Amino acid sequence: MKKYLRLYRQSIRISFAAAMSYRANFILQSLIMILSNSLFPLITLLIYKTGASFPGWSLYEVLLLQSIFTISSGFANMLFSGVVWVTMDHVKEGTLEIVLIKPVKCLFYLVATTFSVENVAVVVGGVIVFIIAYSNISAPSLISWLAAIVFFLIGLLVMLALNLLMSATSFKWVANTRIPEMFTSVLNFGNYPSKIFPKSLQAVITFILPVTMVSCFPAEALLGRADGFMFLAILPCILFLIIGICIYEHMVTLYEGVGG
Amino acid sequence: MKDDIIIVDKLCRKYITYKRGSGFKESLKSFFHREKVPVDAVKDVSFQVKKGDIIGILGPNGAGKSTTIKMLTGTLYPSSGTVSVMGYTPWKNRTQYVKSIGAVFGQKSQLIFDIPPVDSFMMNKAIYDIPDQEYHERLNHLIELLDLGDKVNRPTRVLSLGERMKCEFIMAMLHNPKVVFLDEPTIGLDVIAKQVIRDFIRAMNEQGTTFILTTHDLEDVEKLARNVIIINKGQKVFDGTIEDLRKNLGNKKVVELTVEDQKKFAKLEKEGIRLLSSEDKHKIKVEVNVDLFPMNEFIHYLSDAGEFRDISIQELPMEDIITSIYKN
Repeated sequence: MKKYLRLYRQSIRISFAAAMSYRANFILQSLIMILSNSLFPLITLLIYKTGASFPGWSLYEVLLLQSIFTISSGFANMLFSGVVWVTMDHVKEGTLEIVLIKPVKCLFYLVATTFSVENVAVVVGGVIVFIIAYSNISAPSLISWLAAIVFFLIGLLVMLALNLLMSATSFKWVANTRIPEMFTSVLNFGNYPSKIFPKSLQAVITFILPVTMVSCFPAEALLGRADGFMFLAILPCILFLIIGICIYEHMVTLYEGVGG
Repeated sequence: MKDDIIIVDKLCRKYITYKRGSGFKESLKSFFHREKVPVDAVKDVSFQVKKGDIIGILGPNGAGKSTTIKMLTGTLYPSSGTVSVMGYTPWKNRTQYVKSIGAVFGQKSQLIFDIPPVDSFMMNKAIYDIPDQEYHERLNHLIELLDLGDKVNRPTRVLSLGERMKCEFIMAMLHNPKVVFLDEPTIGLDVIAKQVIRDFIRAMNEQGTTFILTTHDLEDVEKLARNVIIINKGQKVFDGTIEDLRKNLGNKKVVELTVEDQKKFAKLEKEGIRLLSSEDKHKIKVEVNVDLFPMNEFIHYLSDAGEFRDISIQELPMEDIITSIYKN
């Protein structure tokens, strides 16, 4: 375990050093990310300006949900989303051997070494919108905060599972660059209140591809609407992660390399 | 054998590829149905390697050398057969096994491009759990052996190919592995860099490290390996010492003569002698099978044929031997 912590700490240092070696790019990229992620609620603002709305959700409640989604995406991009691209590249180029000769879990190594410090900017963009939305809703209780944090962390595990499933497919569908688009499409269901979808779809995005845990349930918890049903939904999320890890690890054993 | 560190028995690796014709019609057809073609990348390969040895694995492109190395490093699962490296089955309990091995893939870099190699080394320090003092001592020793100086502190992207390859060796050797696999480690390097790397391999081998080397560079094999395995079309076609390999086409030497009058030597045709070239009017090159025609008898025979100003006796070129084995 200590070894894995050391490896992770070293990966963060390296990510920071790599980002600092291209300072202008880092600054520009961070500014663009902060701006684009603080301005994303424009569409929601336009919808509400026309008088339309998501049933049962005020403008600031929707912004709260969407800011949580952005913060979650920022953490996911920073902590593990790079695994999709790096797996795809290793399989396509036949370079996974350089990971497999190291005495660490291949999955952990790839997750750790794709730590991306640049994505702090996405989190910052999300936090700006969160503060605006939060200051316009009634203050949640401590219990609501705790429930929201639990749901948020479980939601991050769902994001990890989705990333692993997408990465795993690249062992079979070599160089399929549309994989991340599929990932984004599925994930986008989590960017809206689940109640706006038909009941059958709600069941799918809660128990089968549990993306409602990413931002909808944490937002509902902060708004004091958490119920037992949401806590029950933690189980399929954990199961989803276990499936993601198992499939990824199985796919690593099917790695074939390329001609030498 | 007791001192065998690697035992490979009937190792096979099959994979499925798809047959696809050319042209629009065939492309369309292949979209719906593709004919599977099984390929034997490695077929029934068996060999042993002794502790402290340097083994060269030779073979033409696509022969199965790299596939064999990948299975020995545990990064590829075989279709059948057994492998034991230091008592481990490489593809089982991989994380435990790879602690004791190192690998350099000539065309795949372990270094992180944007940062100095020394930061990549720190990554391996964390992965292999190398204590601080041991890490610094070993790193300094390796830097000195490879003549890298402070280049390890410059970003990897500004280093030359030779310097990068030397750093790859440090990555592979920092944790003091017992067995090191080298897959074409000198590919694309200049003669000086090749020499430094060969000296480094020899120095590490003297300290007890076993090396398995695949290469296209016959000089690597001649200068480093004690034993050679030749793989062609997935199958082992030769396994023996460099001396055995040289004798594969018979115990032959190439003799080059500088003569005054080439005509006197025009009929150098006898059992055990083969005229190779006589394009230059003062030069003649012949191949002598010393088992059939011992060298002292050949010199007498030459003296009787006419006067010569100079003579050079060389081993049969390794390229000729290898090419002959590949063709057969």
